[in-house]
Amino acid sequence: MSAKSNSLGRWYVIAAPYLWLLIFFLIPFFIVFKLSLSDVATAIPPYTPTFNWSEGIGKFISQLDFENYTFIFGDPLYVNAYLSSLKIAAISTILTLLVAYPMAYGMARAPKSWQPTLMMLVILPFWTSFLIRIYAWIAILKPEGFLTMFLMKLGIISEPLQIMNTTTAVYIGIVYSYLPFMILPLYASLEKINPSLLEAAQDLGSRPWRAFWQITFPLSLPGVFAGCLLVFIPAVGEFVIPDLLGGSDTLMIGKTLWNEFFNNRDWPLASAVAVILLLVLTIPIVLFQRQQQIERESGR
Amino acid sequence: MNKNFSWFNLTSITFGFAFLYIPILLLVIFSFNESKLVTVWAGWSTKWYSALLENQALKDAAWVTIRVGLMSATVSTVLGTLAAITLVRMGRFPGRTLFSGMIFAPLVMPEVIIGLSLLLLFVAMGLDRGFWTITLAHITFTMCYAAVVVQARLQDFDKSVEEAAMDLGATPINTFFQVTLPIIAPSVISAWLLSFTLSLDDLVISSFATGPGATTLPMKIYSQVRLGVTPEINAISTILIGIVTIGLLLAAFVTKRQTERAERERRKAFGAAG
Amino acid sequence: MAVATAGNPQANHASSQRAGPRTAAPQSGFAPWKNPSLAPIVRFEGITKQFDDFVAVNDVTLDIYEKEFFALLGPSGCGKSTLLRMLAGFERPTQGKTIVAGQDITDLPPYQRPVNMMFQSYALFPHMTVEGNIGFGLRQEGMLPKNKIAERVDEAMGMLELRQFAKRKPNQLSGGQQQRVALARAIAKKPRIVLLDEPLGALDKKPRQQAQFELMRIQETTGTTFIIVTHDQEEAMTVASRIAVMEKGVLVQVATPGDIYENPKTRYIAGFIGDVNIFAGTVAAIGDGCIEINAKDGYQFKTRSSEPVTIGQQVWLALRPEKIRIAHEQPASAVNAIPGKVEDIGYLGSISHYHVRTAPGERITALRANAAHTVERPISWEDSVWLDWPIDAGVVLTG
Repeated sequence: MSAKSNSLGRWYVIAAPYLWLLIFFLIPFFIVFKLSLSDVATAIPPYTPTFNWSEGIGKFISQLDFENYTFIFGDPLYVNAYLSSLKIAAISTILTLLVAYPMAYGMARAPKSWQPTLMMLVILPFWTSFLIRIYAWIAILKPEGFLTMFLMKLGIISEPLQIMNTTTAVYIGIVYSYLPFMILPLYASLEKINPSLLEAAQDLGSRPWRAFWQITFPLSLPGVFAGCLLVFIPAVGEFVIPDLLGGSDTLMIGKTLWNEFFNNRDWPLASAVAVILLLVLTIPIVLFQRQQQIERESGR
Repeated sequence: MNKNFSWFNLTSITFGFAFLYIPILLLVIFSFNESKLVTVWAGWSTKWYSALLENQALKDAAWVTIRVGLMSATVSTVLGTLAAITLVRMGRFPGRTLFSGMIFAPLVMPEVIIGLSLLLLFVAMGLDRGFWTITLAHITFTMCYAAVVVQARLQDFDKSVEEAAMDLGATPINTFFQVTLPIIAPSVISAWLLSFTLSLDDLVISSFATGPGATTLPMKIYSQVRLGVTPEINAISTILIGIVTIGLLLAAFVTKRQTERAERERRKAFGAAG
Repeated sequence: MAVATAGNPQANHASSQRAGPRTAAPQSGFAPWKNPSLAPIVRFEGITKQFDDFVAVNDVTLDIYEKEFFALLGPSGCGKSTLLRMLAGFERPTQGKTIVAGQDITDLPPYQRPVNMMFQSYALFPHMTVEGNIGFGLRQEGMLPKNKIAERVDEAMGMLELRQFAKRKPNQLSGGQQQRVALARAIAKKPRIVLLDEPLGALDKKPRQQAQFELMRIQETTGTTFIIVTHDQEEAMTVASRIAVMEKGVLVQVATPGDIYENPKTRYIAGFIGDVNIFAGTVAAIGDGCIEINAKDGYQFKTRSSEPVTIGQQVWLALRPEKIRIAHEQPASAVNAIPGKVEDIGYLGSISHYHVRTAPGERITALRANAAHTVERPISWEDSVWLDWPIDAGVVLTG
């Protein structure tokens, strides 16, 4: 009897978050998909068909089509936006890795008593508003901003820098905002490496630089992998950074989706853009899931 | 063993933190600037802060944001804790892979997709969009972060402690409240704090989920930032940064005190025994 | 490099040794430290190592000779591991010099030293196979052509019966197998000196004893100098040709296992190595090669001693349990005999420990073999017994 009530309690625990996520996370994707097959209309809500019990399901389905998809693939603007998003995300991921690795390495090798403080300092910006941190860069990068003033004072440049409203500014923004996401998994994997492994490598004749490439770097690869996915996936669909820092030539799909939705009020087309974006990101997301799974299992 | 920084490590850490903090520092300093020009220093002033107090629209937005944050953080911490227990302690059950997928996917899913899909759900459900839809949306994406934070702690601690409690006759519910929860409490608190700040911070998902009448602070800031950099935004940003920093420092201080006390007691016990 | 050239003479030595019988104890004729014309392979000269205000190693001067199996023995924190790590190059001495084969290596980094270490945690590279781990040292800086490396790896794997695990990763091996990989990796480069830092600490008693004999076999067949750090006195006694006992950073005694056991220098060593009964007392009379001691609790003991002592000096008599005879009846003609009552018996199969309480309250441990032909009736709890020992059973200690 008690076993039965136990298993009942168990199902309550599982059911609450499970149902919540089913309703608010999974089902909405199907609605997005359905809507991507609809057509835009001047109505509230602004699409057609809307489901109507009296007309029956057959008529409803017959009105759905792949028109939005053919439109997206026929228009180089959209295709380019996807490709450019992937390119910008990939380049910024690599840049983030290059900035984050020495930092994470330095933190993992820092005196043990310092490490909690350093961790805290990495996490702190992550807790302060994303929007505010992007905003802070506007004042730095704009032509009469801090960076130009600083470099002019040093005599390095004589003309104002044209970084603001370019793709370079987007790279800077992504690296800056996503840096903690890269540092944390890197630090976790570097910190786990037993220092005696490096001693053993040196003992067997490996010079420090070689020992880094032979031992430290390969053992930190899970962290590199996790960090890159944590930066790359959200960066592909990033909206705020290209919107605030990027220029008119900075094509990113998150911005396209936003414009279709809010400016053109074309909900079905925005949905189709989202569905394709999701399909593009499926592979990296599945990789990320598997990585998390492995980490969880090995952490036990 | 290594009690000192090597110069390479020190350099990389210094440059890294300079990169992370200089933009924020500049923003804070220039919130006290007398001039309307954000990048030219013209002397100290707190006038932009007093201007904020008179901006009713901004105050309304702040109030909406805080209420959404409190509500969504609380619900998402409860749901996230249950989700963490499900992930770590419930073993195999049908649909486990789907469940863990739904916990981890929102962490990396582009916000525009989450926002759009939630909006379409609310439209399909016929909900009036506004305060409540924002709250529902925030619960959904912050609970995944809460679940990950609590899960990490649950994994760390020895399951045999729970088994001992049940062996001594505690029911699963009593075991949870008397043994498990006190042990994972710090992570539950961090989960709440994280959910709260993520909710305070969110722009994209709120923009989709909201309707007429409910404007959050980030939405307000965003619409002003698009018009250009102003000292008022610097001032409000500084206030937000200040709140988060003080909160985090307090939390860190409390944890440090706790670990120190635990360490002292452990030493005392050890000294008495040996 | 020194490491590369070290291989050949040892290989010859190995083949000549292999034919001989395996011996648990070091060869009786092997005593290079008694030969003044031989130069030591390792010489520590006044080595001191200070961490902040803590002196880990204090002015240690020590010679270790080629082909020795040398043990550094002491409790944790006594500085033995620090001394070993200074030889490997992971720590730099605050003062003093380290000389290997006549060359001052004090300032050489670890990767240029002709020594290889087997780590306490094994420190196997988790992302490399057994083969990869063992060949790691050989692959550095193009020491050898590829086929030669494979040959040497295979040789090391053969020596430690690891060939069947060549392609496995460390986490697919048992503790004993990992330990053998760690050893194989340390000997694969044929270094002149192999350092072993608590190499068997993670093993249970049985596999540990097997591993000790394996270490000795490898040491003998390769003819390499082994320096082992251990806190286990039995392990040191089993494997080592000489033992250096350390206490609080200082070398207390350096001698063969037999010497250390029979003639410990101090009460600390007597107590650290094996069980011992210690009687405190003062010198009452000095005779021809033997002295009489007035023990604290009223007994008088006569014992052989060559220690220079004076009448009235405070001394300690150390007596190994197996040198004390235990019997029901008072022995007819014993030099030293005291009565007592059996309090406890520890039955260990082949032998038994008897804990006897004397009238003044002293607790003495005696040891007796449980031979089947014993005609006497067995000694039991609460029995009144007599303990006696001959004149040359004890050791007089002055410190």
